[in-house]
Amino acid sequence: MKLTQALKMAAKSISANKGRSALTMLGVIIGLAAVIILVSYAQGQNLAMQKYYESLGENKLNVYAYSWDGSVDVNDELYNYCQRISDYVSGVTPNGQIWSGLTISYGVQTLGQSNNGGGMVIVDGGGGGSYVEPPTFYLGNDQFSLCNNYILAKGRDISCMDIERMNQVCVLGASVAQSLFGMIDPVGETVSVNGIPFTVIGVYAPKGNGVTEYNENGDNWQEVAMSRMDNIVVFPHTLTRILNNNQSIDEYTVKARDSKSTRMAATLIKSFLEGILGDSGYVDVVNQTVYQEEENEANKLQQYFLGGIAAISLIVGGVGIMNIMLVTVTERTREIGIRKAIGAERKSIITQFLIEAAMICGIGGILGIIVGYLGTLIVGKLAFKIILIPGAGITVGAFAISVALGLIFGLYPAAKASRLQPVEALRAD
Amino acid sequence: MLIDIKNVYKIYNEGLESEVRALDGVSLQIDRGEFVAIIGASGSGKSTLMNILGCLDIPSYGGYTLDGTDVTELSDKELARIRNREIGFIFQGYNLISALNAYENVELPLIYQGVGLLKREDLVMDALERVKMADRAKHKPSEMSGGQQQRVAIARAIAARPPIIMADEPTGALDSRTGKHVLEILHTLHEEAGTTIILITHDNSIAATAHRIVRISDGRIVADSKNGGNLQAEVAREGGAGS
Repeated sequence: MKLTQALKMAAKSISANKGRSALTMLGVIIGLAAVIILVSYAQGQNLAMQKYYESLGENKLNVYAYSWDGSVDVNDELYNYCQRISDYVSGVTPNGQIWSGLTISYGVQTLGQSNNGGGMVIVDGGGGGSYVEPPTFYLGNDQFSLCNNYILAKGRDISCMDIERMNQVCVLGASVAQSLFGMIDPVGETVSVNGIPFTVIGVYAPKGNGVTEYNENGDNWQEVAMSRMDNIVVFPHTLTRILNNNQSIDEYTVKARDSKSTRMAATLIKSFLEGILGDSGYVDVVNQTVYQEEENEANKLQQYFLGGIAAISLIVGGVGIMNIMLVTVTERTREIGIRKAIGAERKSIITQFLIEAAMICGIGGILGIIVGYLGTLIVGKLAFKIILIPGAGITVGAFAISVALGLIFGLYPAAKASRLQPVEALRAD
Repeated sequence: MLIDIKNVYKIYNEGLESEVRALDGVSLQIDRGEFVAIIGASGSGKSTLMNILGCLDIPSYGGYTLDGTDVTELSDKELARIRNREIGFIFQGYNLISALNAYENVELPLIYQGVGLLKREDLVMDALERVKMADRAKHKPSEMSGGQQQRVAIARAIAARPPIIMADEPTGALDSRTGKHVLEILHTLHEEAGTTIILITHDNSIAATAHRIVRISDGRIVADSKNGGNLQAEVAREGGAGS
């Protein structure tokens, strides 16, 4: 029998037994789609974490250093030291947060800590106003954006000159600029911070997508954290005199050249600062990369876990295929008996059933991939707000496995029946 | 000699208490062009005999030579070839493939033989014409009466023009008029094409139309009209008595 005949025969058999074919395909579709969606979900979670870490800034060290009596400011020493170890370090900035409850206003709009207590902050739009999160006020230097991974959208960054001359300037995060200025270009405008005039010299590009609250729509904490990073105002750190009661800055961010240098830089900076402060103060250097690596490990575990669940659903799908194939084996055994009685060789029968199973599983597999891709797109949209596409490896792998399952379970009963004497196969009922 | 079996046994559960000797030392020779009826009560072993003659089953013991070939020595593949080219089967239960229509069922043995599309179409339509089923070529078995299904089954058996037709109770599930028609087709085939016909039946009136009658009982041949005696008349009489 020619191959084209076997193909025609298999196609005929599939279309003549639509119910059976559909059920078998359903097993393949469900198994395959489940694997693709679950594994892609895990990968999406990884992507979200990666995006979050990128927004934090990679290879970042958080440095905490202060003397117990608040009299020593290590800023200049740290800055100079980082220049010396520039093989490992590409930038350093003070990362001082101002806690004294500043307000920033432009025209009638005011952002800041609400007077009647509570964490929420008022945007006074003249009539009533609405509540938004208070911005965080930072004291930084010309490398603040480099170290914290901000990109300038408009205007210019804080310069060494601003720091030296204590210029009354500031750079706004994307959401602060939006809240205060709306459609107006903030660059060059004057804002009032606790009544003191400041010139806006630049605006950072947004990191998040404006999600500032956890809600039931599946917004995750990374989204919220990233949006909060847009809610900032940065001043030259020397302005601590007028903005922060001249308190010394105790937090710094150091950007290392790469993940390898991060460890080295952490060790060097820690011992350097300990040398300055000794027992009279506190020094800590936190390596963000370590957290990131831990998180990656945890994510990998989760991916294995979800992959395991997916493998189980694939097996369940496979058992479904097997059941359908075995349930119809009596009917098929009789058919095999008839075919053998009128002269079919074993080879012809096996070829036919092989092609039949391959066609069903192939079609089911392609449908399963389509369903899996659609499901992944929906999951990506709902859970991560990104366009999530399943990896080629998992797609090909899951397809191969489900087709193999279909072939094995589709072929095994047929191969067994084809070995019977025709009269035995005919007797099946 | 076309068919020659010697001392054939078919034993189930051999050596056990439940041992059944479906065939218990059967020897039978059939010449080319004969029309033989094998008769016997149900359970006598006549179907087992046909299955072995038709290479659908293998004997437990004994020799079988078909057209000079020792069938017991053949491989699965060679047996398939014999079933395909030498023998056409007609079963009591028709044994059509329900997913295929009449045309496709008849076409099947030709496909396995490797006959080309155009020649296949000629042979299939010719076979369907002979059983007067050409107008039902596109019908599925479920859309046909028992008699029509059996005619399609006959068309399938004769499509490849095999030299031997074996029919196991071909009229068993049919009413007497349809049965008679099926029998006529077999006789026509025998007369026109010289096909060797082996017909298995428990119906004496049908057996009486055969040229030679072999009676089997408890797995043994108990009478053969070829060896003299008046089996033909006897059977005709029994048939007439309405058994």
